[in-house]
Amino acid sequence: MRTNTVFLKVVYSPEDLAVLVGPGGVIRDASITMPQSYRVLGLVEAGFPSPAEEELRDTLSLDEFLIQNPDACFLLKVSGDSMTGAGILPGDLVIVDRGQTGKSGDIVIAEVDGEWTMKYLKKSGDSVYLVPANPSYKPVKPKHELKIAGVVTAVVRKYK
Amino acid sequence: MDNQFISLSSWPRAILHLDADAFFASCEQAIHPELRGRPVITGKERGIVAAASYEAKARGVQRGVRLSDVKKICPDAVILPSDYETYSLFSVRMFEILRRFSPDVEEYSIDEAFVDLTGLRRSFHGPYEMIAAKMQETIQQELGLSVSVGVSLSKVLAKIGSKHSKPHGITMIPGRDVHLFLERLPVEKVWGIGPNTAAFLNKCGITTALQFARKDGAFVKKYLSKPYQEVWNELNGRSVYPVKTETKNGYQSISKAKTFTPASADESIVFAQLAKNLENACIKARRYRLAATRVIIFLRKQDFTGSGVELKLSRPTAYPVELFELLRRGFRQLYQLKTLYRQTGVVLAGLIEEKGMQYSLFDDTTKIEKMAKIYESVDLISQKYGKHTIQHAASLPTKLQAQHEGARGDIPVRRAILLKGENKRQRLKLPMLHVKV
Repeated sequence: MRTNTVFLKVVYSPEDLAVLVGPGGVIRDASITMPQSYRVLGLVEAGFPSPAEEELRDTLSLDEFLIQNPDACFLLKVSGDSMTGAGILPGDLVIVDRGQTGKSGDIVIAEVDGEWTMKYLKKSGDSVYLVPANPSYKPVKPKHELKIAGVVTAVVRKYK
Repeated sequence: MDNQFISLSSWPRAILHLDADAFFASCEQAIHPELRGRPVITGKERGIVAAASYEAKARGVQRGVRLSDVKKICPDAVILPSDYETYSLFSVRMFEILRRFSPDVEEYSIDEAFVDLTGLRRSFHGPYEMIAAKMQETIQQELGLSVSVGVSLSKVLAKIGSKHSKPHGITMIPGRDVHLFLERLPVEKVWGIGPNTAAFLNKCGITTALQFARKDGAFVKKYLSKPYQEVWNELNGRSVYPVKTETKNGYQSISKAKTFTPASADESIVFAQLAKNLENACIKARRYRLAATRVIIFLRKQDFTGSGVELKLSRPTAYPVELFELLRRGFRQLYQLKTLYRQTGVVLAGLIEEKGMQYSLFDDTTKIEKMAKIYESVDLISQKYGKHTIQHAASLPTKLQAQHEGARGDIPVRRAILLKGENKRQRLKLPMLHVKV
């Protein structure tokens, strides 16, 4: 078995008898006779130690980096140019988190009066606007209904 | 007597059954939001309705109906080819969401699950109904799927609950209400009771689930076999079927059936389709380290009638090469000249674990070992380069003809899109939303 945790210290007695000492210094194996004194030689890990594994434990894969809630994220291929100012170009892939409902300033995928769109969500007081990041489009104020399908959490553009 | 409670205690156990509403069609509506509220049907490649959205059901479209008939009753129906890759992604996510609530989740089928909620009220600071509602809400929010749930004392009762109110229903059946639900339920609607058992029970004067539940144990023991005694216990609120949390790692049988269009009367093509099903079934059997002792094959004609034959094997195997001769013999029994066939199928049955396999004195063990090595390599190559990279000559004709030609050959949208870096076989493991923005 291979684990990363050090769970026991191995202590060698002068007679080279291995005695196992638990975390509280309790001798686990009572059948081994107690020698006069102990000399701690070092810590032994169960299994082969893997320094790489230890160092890489606190890293993220690109998947984890881009996708916070893997059960709620969808891909969407962008076709329009209304968010070019935010760095989202036609042909880009965006990751849409359906678990989020959208805060002011988020880029959202929304259905406004029956039309689908991707815009900045702006809330001020009671009013809600959808603001494009392209001067050739105008901000949208929903007349009847605004449904937010999800929040854009990342954009992916692959060149090769 | 009929007012008597089945159980005085409301929740000795709390088992939830979740059933997604029109699952395949709902997945399509989730990724194509413009299809919400419209009649959507999947199964274009099969020529029959695989799933119908509730809008389509309201118009009278039922599962299994021919698509040509659908066009008559519901001309504006949106008919789509099945996109199993996307449905599987949704299914896995649905189970993952359920596991946020309880570690005891049984993946019963692609769109159904059982969850043991017993004892979770404290950690969620609320009643079981609240937990059920929260699950339903999360799945709706994150996946855009509507599900129906039932919560009761046993699996059989929970299943009655999830069916009781659909779509998007939550039905709680605590111990003191069980009899109210069973009273109006015909006994044949109970999970696990087939038409034969129902007919027998009817003869004994039992027509409702409640009458069956109220029967005394002596009668049940005397006249019914163990599975029905278990159902009887479950109906009485005594949970005997545990929620099985382990993911499926064994099968009792493996079946592979494929429809092809246009239908064919060509012997070599029909046999090739059958051979391919055998190959696929064997691939799956080998993946689970199983071997078959019986093989059932069937052919279905253009007019939907079919015939089948069961073949017994002298030794368990999962290697098609050893089975082709037998397959051909069985095929010859079934195949009729000048008849159009639309589907073939293979069922591997009597599966046993490979490691427990015993050879007889007359088996050529060196040959078997060689075969094992060959197939091990074939499976490795398939893993790396895709299924059927190496295939048997018997199924070769299937490569010369597309599985479905004409309109039925339409492929799901997701398969038509190849993103940079994706290849025909491997795609990103995320469902795609299809909206134009």
